[in-house]
Amino acid sequence: MNFVQLFQILDTSQSTNAKRNGLVAFIQTADPLESALAVEALTGRRDRKQLKPSLLKQAAYQAFTDESWLFDECYAAVGDLSETLAILFANQDAVSQTNQPILDQWRQRQHALSQQKPEVLISELPSLLNTLSRDEAFLFLKLSSGGFRVGVSKGLVHEAIARAIDMDRAVIEERLMGDFSPDPDWLDRLKAPVTQDELNAKPLPFLLANPMSESEISALNPTDVLVEYKWDGIRAQLIKTHETIRLWSRGDQDITEQFPDIVEVATTLPSQIILDGEILAGTTEHLQTFNNLQTRLNRKRITQTLLKTHPAFFKAYDLLRLDGEDLRGHPLIARKAALSKIAVSQSLTIDPMCSETIHAMRQEARGKGAEGVMIKGKQSCYVGGRKAGHWWKWKLDPMTADCVLIYAQAGHGRRASLHSDYTLACWNQDNELVPVAKAYSGLTDAELKDMDQWIRKHTLQKFGPVRQVEAFQVFEIGFEGIARSTRHKSGIALRFPRILRWRQDVGPKDADHLTHFEALMSDSHAV
Amino acid sequence: MIDAHPYGEPFVLGDVQISFHPAGHVLGSAQIRIDDGDAVWVITGDYKRDPDPTCQRFEPIHCDVLITEATFALPIYRWPSMDQVMEHMFRWWDHHIRNQRTPVLLCYSLGKAQRIMAEIRQRSDRSVQVHGAVANLNLEYEKQGVALCPWQRASESDKGVSTDLIIAPPQVAGSSFLKRFHPTELAMASGWMQVRGVRRRSAINHGFVVSDHADWQSLIQTIQQSEARQIYATHGETRVLTRYLNDHMGVAADRLETAFGIEQGADQ
Repeated sequence: MNFVQLFQILDTSQSTNAKRNGLVAFIQTADPLESALAVEALTGRRDRKQLKPSLLKQAAYQAFTDESWLFDECYAAVGDLSETLAILFANQDAVSQTNQPILDQWRQRQHALSQQKPEVLISELPSLLNTLSRDEAFLFLKLSSGGFRVGVSKGLVHEAIARAIDMDRAVIEERLMGDFSPDPDWLDRLKAPVTQDELNAKPLPFLLANPMSESEISALNPTDVLVEYKWDGIRAQLIKTHETIRLWSRGDQDITEQFPDIVEVATTLPSQIILDGEILAGTTEHLQTFNNLQTRLNRKRITQTLLKTHPAFFKAYDLLRLDGEDLRGHPLIARKAALSKIAVSQSLTIDPMCSETIHAMRQEARGKGAEGVMIKGKQSCYVGGRKAGHWWKWKLDPMTADCVLIYAQAGHGRRASLHSDYTLACWNQDNELVPVAKAYSGLTDAELKDMDQWIRKHTLQKFGPVRQVEAFQVFEIGFEGIARSTRHKSGIALRFPRILRWRQDVGPKDADHLTHFEALMSDSHAV
Repeated sequence: MIDAHPYGEPFVLGDVQISFHPAGHVLGSAQIRIDDGDAVWVITGDYKRDPDPTCQRFEPIHCDVLITEATFALPIYRWPSMDQVMEHMFRWWDHHIRNQRTPVLLCYSLGKAQRIMAEIRQRSDRSVQVHGAVANLNLEYEKQGVALCPWQRASESDKGVSTDLIIAPPQVAGSSFLKRFHPTELAMASGWMQVRGVRRRSAINHGFVVSDHADWQSLIQTIQQSEARQIYATHGETRVLTRYLNDHMGVAADRLETAFGIEQGADQ
């Protein structure tokens, strides 16, 4: 099997099982250099952009001579630049039949291309693509221009590698950390026997909270529980063994490399320890919003500048291992007592005397930059999964507003050529609609389809792929936070806006005014 | 009362002379040529220029004014040859029966299903099972002398995995019709399958690019061969086609609004 054939399997199966089986078979049978290069690409380790998207566009424009608009129309219908070029310029009659390795050859070709002058490259690209089949051209461009995704997660690839060579997945992930050099010996290196320290660096199954309703809260005996704020960060286990410090998020993602500042602080921790807690943006004195964490997760390289502008820290709320001893069987209250003796930033824990204390804490949550409270059984031990009767979360209700759809744009990928990206507006003091949010999801597929047709019929103007539509459709949006913004005409920025429902029962005049948002902002602490 | 008129035989209706000409879309589909003595108008209706064993091939006609469809008027729509599609389909079919899954091909009951069955017959002795909607049209096609591959109604077949291909309209996806053949593997045959995102949104694993409409090149070729002085585009990407004709080819072109609703069926 070669990479093109693997792609065809991955691209034509919806089921994770089928994808995993395809990956396993590929890793077991493919030429080892081919599989090494494939793993590099599929796990996002290949970030060299040899062909910039702008260059690809220029090549297409040149091939379309005076009709660059026609290429833009094609791109808008396809929703993917590489795919558009592949459809337009690949050899329609060529079928990729060979199962010979292809990636090493492509790598050399891409390198040669990147050495050329842009003018040469632009004029030669269409004829180069014409030597490839459509799938080949698509993959060649995807791999050259970065942003290669085919609906398989890094985790799934790691799992498949582990299965293919019958090893533990966490060990594989550990061994794949850091620089991955794609060479024919990569599998042999992964197969080396596992050490005890490697086993100790693995995360333990996370205990997850169940949502709790107000009636369940009142039924609860407040003296049986401890209460904390529910922090809006990344749930993580911070592990220190004799040899290493690791930070794992839920879903067994090793995110150590994204947070060198947390690792630095953790060097002072006692060895053989596992802390459970939350990675938060900002500093212990001054929290920043969750978006800043997203930035950290998304960057390939964490620079010194980024560490300054987007600092992060770890707030612990549980202790699962100390001096190599597993504490998970001890009750929460005992684990908390042991945790309090460790020098690490910790989440405030309240031992409530009455349910009013819990209510009061939840009331204050938004002001503290938290998204609700966590209620945990004092006698609960730490078990993996969403176990009943251990931990509960009691989130704040999202803030809401009714907004009017003013612009719509076709989505990408699965939603290509379906108008699924909405710009929503509210009324200002001059009775104009000003945009307040862009929202992508929240409608069912059927609703999206209905809306798509409505949008096509009620377009007032088109600005490239963006359609201005009649101010008619009203949507209720929910959002987690609100802050002032100088970048937006409305003067506000919403955090995590999403469509809650389609208000077919009201008209545009019933939508909210900017004053509604102003009122919400003064209620909440703008983090 | 319906009057039938053979292709190419003019008849008079009111003040004009009318004749029907093959459109190559499905069995019996026709372009309409209207001659009022001053000018010749041609209305293509839905058409395609690629060979199709179930119907007469599209016939280019000279005219003064051409009203053409524009369903797929974008350069990304270029249809692969049926040789390539069928080879691909047979490989897909064999692969899934080897893995104990019933291959199911979703497509229009009228035209597309029979076209694929006729293509199968030309290349193999494979047989298929069809949904009732397809079966009724098959009988009509066979009555008109179109040779299809061996088929039977799916409702009359045994339960379990089938080594025959199942041909059914797209609406059966997720319905109880497919239960008897479980586990199934779904594919769709449609021009829209040209775009990966459209296929993925439809929750169909596999897409075969087979269309009974004209692709971009066919549209342009037809317009050139007509030598019409005025083009009207209707249905689909009319805005793109008319702009291209006016700006790039120097042919006068306008959009013709129809009562058929939306300008582009993003799905079937």
